[in-house]
Amino acid sequence: MSRHKISLRVNGQRYELEVEANRTLLQTIREDLEMTGTKCACERGDCGLCTVMVDGVPTKSCLVLAVEADGKEITTIEGLMKGEELNPVQRAFIEHGAVQCGFCTPAFIVAATALLKRNPKPSEEEVKEAIGGILCRCTGYRQIIDAILDASKSGK
Amino acid sequence: MVKYSYVGKDVPRLDAIEKVTGTALYTGDLRFPGMLHTKLLKSPYAHAKIKKIDTSEAEKLPGVRAVLTGEEAPYRFGIYMSDKTILAIDKVRHVGEPVVAVAADTEEIAEQAVELIKVEYEELPAVFDVRKAMEEGSPLVHENLSEYKHAPFVYPKPGKNIANHFKLRKGDVERGFREADVVIENEFYQPQVQNVQMETHTSIGQWLQNGQINVWTSAQSPFAVRHLLGVGLGVPLHRINVVVPYIGGGFGGKAGLHWEPLVVLLSKKAGGRPVKLVMTREEQFYTTAVRQGFYGRIKTGVKRDGKITAMEILYLWDAGAYADYGVNITRAAGYSCTGPYEIPNIKCDSITVYTNHPYGTAYRGFGHPEFHFATERQMDLVAREIGMDPVEFRLKNAAVPGRITATGEKLREDAGRVDECIKAVAEAIGWGKKEPKQVGGKLRGRGIAALWKAPAMPSFTSSSAILKLNEDGSVTLSISSTEMGQGTPTALAQIVAEELQMPIEKIKVVTKRETDFGPYSWQTVASRGLFMEGNATLDAAKNLKEQVKATAAELLGVPKEKLVVAEEKVFVPGQPDKSLPLASLATAGIFPDGRGIGGPVLGYGMYTAEGLTNLDPETGQGLPALMWTFGAQGAEVEVDPETGDVRVLKMASAFDIGKTINPTIVKGQIYGGIVQGIGSAFMEEFIFDQKGKLLNSNLTDYKICRAQDIPDEFVFIPIENPQLNAPHGARGVGEHPRISIEPAIANAIYDAVGVDLFEIPMSREKVWLGLKRKGERK
Amino acid sequence: MIPKFDYFRPKTTEELVDLLAKYGEDAKMFAGGTDLFVLMRDRLIRPKYVIDLKGIEELHEFSYDEKRGLRIGATVTLNELLESDVVKERFGVLWSAAGALADPTIRNRGTLVGNICNASPAADTAPALLVLDAEVEVAGKGGERTIPIRDFFIGVKRTSLKPEEFVKAVRIPNPPAGAKGGYYKWGRTRGEDLAVVGVAALVVNSGKRIVRVALSSVFKTPLRVPEVEKVFEEEGPLDEQIERAVSAVQEKIAPITDVRSSKEYRIHMAGVLTRRALKELFGGS
Ligand SMILES: Cc1cc2nc3c(=O)[nH]c(=O)nc-3n(C[C@H](O)[C@H](O)[C@H](O)COP(=O)(O)OP(=O)(O)OC[C@H]3O[C@@H](n4cnc5c(N)ncnc54)[C@H](O)[C@@H]3O)c2cc1C
Repeated sequence: MSRHKISLRVNGQRYELEVEANRTLLQTIREDLEMTGTKCACERGDCGLCTVMVDGVPTKSCLVLAVEADGKEITTIEGLMKGEELNPVQRAFIEHGAVQCGFCTPAFIVAATALLKRNPKPSEEEVKEAIGGILCRCTGYRQIIDAILDASKSGK
Repeated sequence: MVKYSYVGKDVPRLDAIEKVTGTALYTGDLRFPGMLHTKLLKSPYAHAKIKKIDTSEAEKLPGVRAVLTGEEAPYRFGIYMSDKTILAIDKVRHVGEPVVAVAADTEEIAEQAVELIKVEYEELPAVFDVRKAMEEGSPLVHENLSEYKHAPFVYPKPGKNIANHFKLRKGDVERGFREADVVIENEFYQPQVQNVQMETHTSIGQWLQNGQINVWTSAQSPFAVRHLLGVGLGVPLHRINVVVPYIGGGFGGKAGLHWEPLVVLLSKKAGGRPVKLVMTREEQFYTTAVRQGFYGRIKTGVKRDGKITAMEILYLWDAGAYADYGVNITRAAGYSCTGPYEIPNIKCDSITVYTNHPYGTAYRGFGHPEFHFATERQMDLVAREIGMDPVEFRLKNAAVPGRITATGEKLREDAGRVDECIKAVAEAIGWGKKEPKQVGGKLRGRGIAALWKAPAMPSFTSSSAILKLNEDGSVTLSISSTEMGQGTPTALAQIVAEELQMPIEKIKVVTKRETDFGPYSWQTVASRGLFMEGNATLDAAKNLKEQVKATAAELLGVPKEKLVVAEEKVFVPGQPDKSLPLASLATAGIFPDGRGIGGPVLGYGMYTAEGLTNLDPETGQGLPALMWTFGAQGAEVEVDPETGDVRVLKMASAFDIGKTINPTIVKGQIYGGIVQGIGSAFMEEFIFDQKGKLLNSNLTDYKICRAQDIPDEFVFIPIENPQLNAPHGARGVGEHPRISIEPAIANAIYDAVGVDLFEIPMSREKVWLGLKRKGERK
Repeated sequence: MIPKFDYFRPKTTEELVDLLAKYGEDAKMFAGGTDLFVLMRDRLIRPKYVIDLKGIEELHEFSYDEKRGLRIGATVTLNELLESDVVKERFGVLWSAAGALADPTIRNRGTLVGNICNASPAADTAPALLVLDAEVEVAGKGGERTIPIRDFFIGVKRTSLKPEEFVKAVRIPNPPAGAKGGYYKWGRTRGEDLAVVGVAALVVNSGKRIVRVALSSVFKTPLRVPEVEKVFEEEGPLDEQIERAVSAVQEKIAPITDVRSSKEYRIHMAGVLTRRALKELFGGS
């Protein structure tokens, strides 16, 4: 199997790695870079728990090869705090009780943060569309939607 | 004096920051030096003899460290019925059952090794339908049922596919039916489904050469894992340490013991290296445990005035290949079989049936969502038959305090009020109000369903808590009930803060559960956590105060009884000089001359379920319930008669939770439960081929609710009639929001379009079929 | 886990042609990988060589010409299509089909060309391309050719591409003047799902009526129903014509029963969606 040298920026830091062709971006993030906030729960694009930003765009990292990410800017849940400060989406998730078991939380927060950057005042339908590829089994989604809408109001 | 008041307030979850920053660790995030990875060879057959297993090629593959077959693991495990081995021995009983396990340096090598293993099977006739499985001459799933150990309240029938037959007999049903003006009988069905926790089952095991076993696992109940593992493997408990980090959702599916013995045995074979197993999503569907299928038949006798005179009930549970947990679901559903009503004459048979489906376990609601679909649909069908309003009919028969339950229990005065729940929900969905039925070609309807559930557990289960006073006056609470999203630790911190009258910021609840250090708790299941852990925690806080006061009394020279603990001090109210900071007592008190007194303060508390008894094996009479949480759900739906699409416009829910400790956390339970229920109502279902192979074993084909599938509106009405022996009066409500969603919606669909549905899920297609049949009948 | 393979990222179509000629059936191309990696992860296919098309600049071309219409390169993502005003305004049926496929995080990787090359009967963009009379630009060792979209799909997950051929782009001529279109997708749920049935319709209602209808998930390939077009060639009351179109669709399709739906429900819903599509598209003009 072919091996490839890649260079990534993850959460603002540069990483030079050598990866095997079949390694997914998700595996690289979790296993090679040991950033375990991004989760794996289906490996086939259904659950969305592996969502990270690739050049600012929310992407299911289980369906991206690590080698394809060469030269890209990756943002994971570990990269969202500004110093000691939670970002508005993170704060709103806490306030609205949008967090339960927490396994899906990073994916929703990454997707929502990306959404608000692109569309600072989304409608409820737009929020649902943006998170429609991510599954949560605990909350019933209502609190997640409310948190994102609220974060958009506090809009910074 | 400042009054610290936390109970009833929206304190943010203790684990929130870890979870929103991605730093919370789950079992799958852990890594240890030398850790190996597991892959499973699984049965392609639903029922087959294992003729031969050849692992020689796999063993030769570089990087393979252990290959384990069932023969090398002849241990039986089970919490209520030890009918399961960890890998199949002699025969396989369902598609997806693990036959061989490989531990290797990488997942990739383990998988290659699995592909090199050859297994010869001889297919056996299989059985997939519970009613066929009960017939004479059906293929037997377990020939050696008589040899299995089981809990005393389980009644297996060797020679048949029956793992448990729970019987309940109250009054005289025949007389009850004779007294009735109308007798109505119906059948109901729910398929097998899966808990679909976002985190699949994950375990890491290590069996060191010195005999020490270490387990890190996504299990709901660390002490149950330790106990069952110890008993199953014949290892003393002090040699087993079970660690549970955060859990990515449990919903009952991670209760008891699952794959922990497998990783431990693989580790032993691999010379003590830690071995990790992460179930794939597909394995989560067909290898690990699922929710049992359900078939129910209910015959109800009723007087024209609306009083129910008799119920004859048959519940059959499709436990699949193994019935360990299932036998207790059968029992719990059996003793709650009527729903929240007083029925004078009852005959109920609730039977766990083995089939060659994936094996059943607990799933949020523990059988209650299944049988309430039957009972609450039946309530509407009976009310219609006698021309009575379904709400009035329910209220007439409601099990209110003082009335007698199916098991002969007289409901205590502080038992909670199902009638108040029903009324609240009826009002919230505008019951009885005239509103336009037809809106733009779609038809609207409303439906109600009530519910009850008590924790299903052995009569004597217990919990304990340890509250440690730290050197700076802060406290650390240790409990062993786990955090899987339900938020109990946060509620417990609130209880401690209120009891000790100190700022909540000064309280830590340990995040990791570890049996070597943690206090005993039976299990984190059954909506019992807040009630039992809460009582134990209160007891521990009181104990801590006692210890502090005892030392302070000596130091201050005042009687202990005069002392109060609050504001991080122990003091005599109104006497500023008679006061000591708690910090000064944490390790020991000190007299002015330097002498020490007392010692490190460690509050201990416990709680054992009170007043429960065994149930009579022939009549099911006795006291099974620590508390009943009553509730009601109301649905307003809009049906598209052309497509069968049902949109839930509103779900209104009321539960008598006694006391709300943390409104946001309660809301999380309610909304989450409702949406799980909606998934089951409309889309969740195991679909098998004729050979018992699951056809929808991934999240493309097996749907659960997404953000677009939730109701347009949620209304939650907390009812707060406190239960006196509960912490602050609070009852459990973890499972209840998941119950009676299906019947509320089904009743609303009937109200909208006049179609009666008896099967779950009520997919667009099934509603359409119902409409079509109704049209053809006309 | 995705099984082992060698990865190539050619920079030119010539390199790609060589790789395909060399490895033939052992190689698989991908653009977004949202189909390919799922198939590989599920062990349904095991290519030895995997070729990433995104290194080839030329394949990312996305252009519109007043005369010749749209040209969508092989690596243009569905989100890129959705962001295009031309697609939204002039090729509404394609725009609505692209927006009905999966969710934004999949569409950000998935491509139109990948969707049709995967050739699932449920491919959401295929019916839209069928009613738009799209053409597929194909290249390979033997040179270039154009395949009309109606000849492109030949079976479940089978296209008329030869193993060493690849799709360069999809060309879509301008629809007839005044055309309106939409894709009506029916799933099991409101949330993201594969189609139980999908109906793409294109309607012109100025003077002579022109109607084209194509469907997904009701046949071994995405299917255009020319009988519908004939119905509208003659004059007649609209409601009657729509009912005849519905019957034409229901007669032509041959759906299967699977985990998403029964055959009967598919036939029923194909009728319902066809009726709804035509009523809406005629009604609005
Ligand atoms: C969670 C999820 C949901 C989905 N939902 C939908 C849905 O609702 N509707 C739907 O239609 N699809 C759906 N899909 C399938 C998929 O996303 C789409 O088909 C998508 O358009 C594929 O594009 P791609 O670029 O990712 O294809 P790829 O995976 O890159 O390629 C697909 C196939 O086409 C071949 N191929 C790609 N490019 C070329 C080329 N230039 N020449 C020749 N062959 C080529 C590949 O070898 C492969 O066999 C879903 C997928 C996932 C994972």
